[in-house]
Amino acid sequence: MSLPQNTGKAAPFPRLSIMLHWIMAALILVMLFVGLFMAHISSIHYAGLFTLHRTVGFLLLLLVVIRLINRFTNRTPPLPADLPSPMKLAAHLSHILLYGFMFALPLVGWAMLSAGGYPITLWGGCHIPPLMGFHPHLWGALRCLHSLLAYGLILLILAHIGAALLHGVIRRDGVMGSMLGR
Amino acid sequence: MARSPHSASPARWAAVILPPLCLGGFLAWSAGLLTPASISPSHFMQRFHNAGAPNTGFRRAHAKGMCVTGWFDPSPEGRALSHAGVFKGEHLPVIGRFSLAPPLPYLPDNPNIARSLALQIRTPSGDDWRMALVDMPLQSMRDIADAYAFFKAARLDPVTHKPDPEAVKAYAAQRPWLNTAFEQAKAHQQPSDLTNDTYNSLDSFILTNDAGKKTAVRWAVQAKEPFRPAEGSGANDGNYLFKRLVQTLDERPLSWDIVATIAREGDPVNDPSQPWNDADQKVTVGTVTFTKAYSEDENPCGPMVFDPTILPEGISVSQDPLLALRASVYMKSYATRSAEHKTPSMVTPNDVANPTLTSDEKGQ
Repeated sequence: MSLPQNTGKAAPFPRLSIMLHWIMAALILVMLFVGLFMAHISSIHYAGLFTLHRTVGFLLLLLVVIRLINRFTNRTPPLPADLPSPMKLAAHLSHILLYGFMFALPLVGWAMLSAGGYPITLWGGCHIPPLMGFHPHLWGALRCLHSLLAYGLILLILAHIGAALLHGVIRRDGVMGSMLGR
Repeated sequence: MARSPHSASPARWAAVILPPLCLGGFLAWSAGLLTPASISPSHFMQRFHNAGAPNTGFRRAHAKGMCVTGWFDPSPEGRALSHAGVFKGEHLPVIGRFSLAPPLPYLPDNPNIARSLALQIRTPSGDDWRMALVDMPLQSMRDIADAYAFFKAARLDPVTHKPDPEAVKAYAAQRPWLNTAFEQAKAHQQPSDLTNDTYNSLDSFILTNDAGKKTAVRWAVQAKEPFRPAEGSGANDGNYLFKRLVQTLDERPLSWDIVATIAREGDPVNDPSQPWNDADQKVTVGTVTFTKAYSEDENPCGPMVFDPTILPEGISVSQDPLLALRASVYMKSYATRSAEHKTPSMVTPNDVANPTLTSDEKGQ
C-alpha cells in the first residue's frame, strides 16, 4: 500500500524555521493563558497582565511577518508521500489557518484598542500608533472578533499538537522529528 | 515506512490524545471554567443588570450623564511631582462627563444620589490621562470581593424596584472595616449642584518626577463655586442638576482645581475605603475649566471609556485592587454596550440647547 521510497526520516526544517516555530509556540501559549485569564477572572494583576499582553502581542505580530517571509523564501520538507490525501489536505489547510489566525489575532487586537480609543502602550512606556481613529461600534465588534479568533486558534493548536503526535507516535513517519531538528 | 494506525497500542493512542486534552484543560482552567466560584467581569455585568442596568447601550454604572468640554492648565507644583507631559503643557483639551452614580440611565435627578465626574486630558504628543471620580469621601468597598458583594446587595427587588434594605444593612454589618467609610458617607453634606460639588478619585496613584522620586496621591477635583446645601434647592424637573449646569455654562466658564493629597508614612495607599491623615499636604496640580455642554448622544464622551488606569508616563496605578477591577469591568461594560442598540440619553440635545427647568414632576 504505502510507497516503498518513504524512509520515515523526513528532512528537518531549516534552523530558522525551527527556532521561529518554538519561540512563537511558547509566546502564543503565554498569550492565550494571559488573555483567557484577563477576560474571565477579575484579579488585582489586571494592569500588569494587560501590558504584558499588548507587548507580547506586538512582538508576535512582528515575528509572524518574519515567519511568513521565511515560509515563502525557505524550503519546507515535503509531507511523506504515503500520507493519505485527506490527511495531506488537512495538513495544508490547518497550516494556512494557523498562519491566518496568528497574523489576524494581534492585528485585530491592535485595531480594536485603536477603535476603542485606548492608548497602546508597551512594556517600558513605548507607544505604538493607533491603526484607526475612535470608532466605538467597531471596537465592540472587534473585541468580540478577538475572542472568537482566540478560541479558533486554541482549537487549531490542540488539533496541531494531536496531529504532530499522530505523526510522531503512531505513524512514526518523521514529520514530528522534522520540527524537533532531528 | 510509516506504521499502520491499526497496529498501534492503546498506550500510543493515549500519548497522542492526552497532551492536547491536558493543554485544553489548563486553558479552560485559566479561563475560570473549572473554578465556578471565581469572579469574572461577566459576573459583575450580571450584578449590574440585577441592580437595574438595562442592555440598551448605556454604561453599566454612572449611566445617566452629560458631556462638557474645556481645557486644563497645569501648575508648576504639578511638574515638581510628576514628569507627565500633561503637567508641562498649557491649555490642554479636556473632555468631561458629569453623571449620576447609579446604573440607571433614566433616573430623575434628586439631591440624595451620588454624583460623578470623569475626565480625559490629552497632550498634543498623545499622552492621555483619564480619571473617574465620585463625590463620596471614601469607597464603600476595599477589594474585589467587597465590590462583588456590594453589587449583589444593590440588586433591585422585582416587586418594589428598590434594593432590599436588609441586604444593604447586612453588607455593612458584615464588614466592620468599612465603618469609617459609611460614617463619612453619612456625614457627607451634599451640595446643591453639580457645579459646586467636589469629586474624588478614592483610588490612589503613584506620581514619578524627573528625579525619579515617587509620591502616592489621591485626587480631588475641587469645586471653586461656593457651597450651598442640597436641601431646598427646589426643582421638580427630572434633569434639574444637568440643566442648571448647562445654564451656568451658558453664562460663564466653570473651573475646578485638581488637588493631590500627598500620602504620608502610614496612610493606607492601597485601600480606598480608609481615610488618610487629615494633616496630609494638599497640592493643586492644575485647574480644569469647562465652557460648553453637550448631550452625550452628540459628543464622544458618551461612547468613550473613562478607565482610570489609562495614564500618561509619570502617573501610574497603585496596588489598589479596585483600580485593577475597574479596568477589567469598564472594558467589559464598554465592549458590551458598544455592540448594543442605544436608546436616547435622558439629557437630550434639546435639553442642552434649551435648559429651562420645566415641572415634569420627576425631580426631587
